[in-house]
Amino acid sequence: MLNFLRRLAADYKEYILLIVLSVISLTLLSKSEKPQAKHLQTFALGNFAVLSEITNSITSIFKKDISLDELTKENAKLMLEVNRMRKLRSENEELRAMISFRDTSKYPLIPAKVISKLVTKIQGNFIINKGSSDEIKKGMPVLSEKGLIGLIMDVAENYSVVRTLNNSNLNIAVTLQRTNVNGILNYDGRNLVIKDIPTTYDVQVGDRVETSDFSSLFPPSIPVGIVKKKESNVLGLLHNITVTTFANISGANNLFILKVVPSKQINDLEMNLLKQN
Amino acid sequence: MFKNLLKPILFFIPLAVVQLTLVPMISIGSIAPNLIFVLITFFTLKNGQAFGTLLGFIIGFFLDLISGGLIGAFMFSFTLSAFIAGYFYNENKIEFNTASFFFLIIIFICGSISAFVFAMISNSNSDVNLFFLIFEEGLFPGLYTAFFGLPMIIFAPKKRMI
Repeated sequence: MLNFLRRLAADYKEYILLIVLSVISLTLLSKSEKPQAKHLQTFALGNFAVLSEITNSITSIFKKDISLDELTKENAKLMLEVNRMRKLRSENEELRAMISFRDTSKYPLIPAKVISKLVTKIQGNFIINKGSSDEIKKGMPVLSEKGLIGLIMDVAENYSVVRTLNNSNLNIAVTLQRTNVNGILNYDGRNLVIKDIPTTYDVQVGDRVETSDFSSLFPPSIPVGIVKKKESNVLGLLHNITVTTFANISGANNLFILKVVPSKQINDLEMNLLKQN
Repeated sequence: MFKNLLKPILFFIPLAVVQLTLVPMISIGSIAPNLIFVLITFFTLKNGQAFGTLLGFIIGFFLDLISGGLIGAFMFSFTLSAFIAGYFYNENKIEFNTASFFFLIIIFICGSISAFVFAMISNSNSDVNLFFLIFEEGLFPGLYTAFFGLPMIIFAPKKRMI
């Protein structure tokens, strides 16, 4: 029996190895969101990102002038301010009473640089050169000077992982600024799409899309993009709305982290998907 | 076998830096080559299927850790595709397999499978269609990756044929 097993192992060692390693990989995949796995990952990327940053600093000579950073930061602040003003103008007296909303333009912006990117069609991730030592926390929104880019997903001491809008695992609550139609924005591998909006709702190509008041991940009124097209489904009852982002996500190099202090109340709710374990 | 693993792992470190910092600059509409997979295929064709499978697993694990993606996604896709690349291993044809255009074909086939499997397991959106995954997440990245196998066949033979 032992000889048989030994012979079997010798004859099929490649297959046995494949099965064992595949099982380990898939087990780790199912546990990749566990805190232990995240700790290991932040430790590894925190150390490896040093090499990426050195390489990036060399290649950045051929990129944008670093002195533009301050202007870009100012531009980002103005962008948020303009967006807020636009919204206020379009709201009636009743909504003005709600101006005590959290004001996104008052949140401090922390400038950061992208030091490495994982380029795939479905999993858009950046690693940036700011981490817990800069008071970055998981769940903070990330912007460019034009609009929303994504969300901080993991934080090491000096580096963080940003999950971009071009990631099929990120769903965000958005609203159309003109009509206050709410929906969930998701990346389908090609486009950012808001699904299942009733055709009776007033949606027009060119409408501005921003983060919703209902979002448990983002503060309200951060500009996301504009409606590029709307397509109705077979029955003609619902629309799928394609959105073009203001920010050039794949080409982003200089980013800003909106230093939002997480709400304890929201964090305590089960619906908050980013709740710390 | 374990001693032989050290060399590709050492090559992996600078290649991973290039993959995560420079490769995004040459990506075409989110389609990017996977230089790490060229490395895995090369060493699989030189050392055999079992070696390649183990190498794919280890390098996939490291890449998962440093890229900030899901842990296990690269691990599984590299393990599986290195295993498939191992079918092309022939100890009498190592030179031919690694220094001819056949090497590019192997990278294309296995790289496409690797990219496709990676997209399949890392995607949580059920609306992404299979056609999209096969072409834009499988064949195109595989083709682009194969292109980066060219330097291996242009520069390697001269040294070995002497």
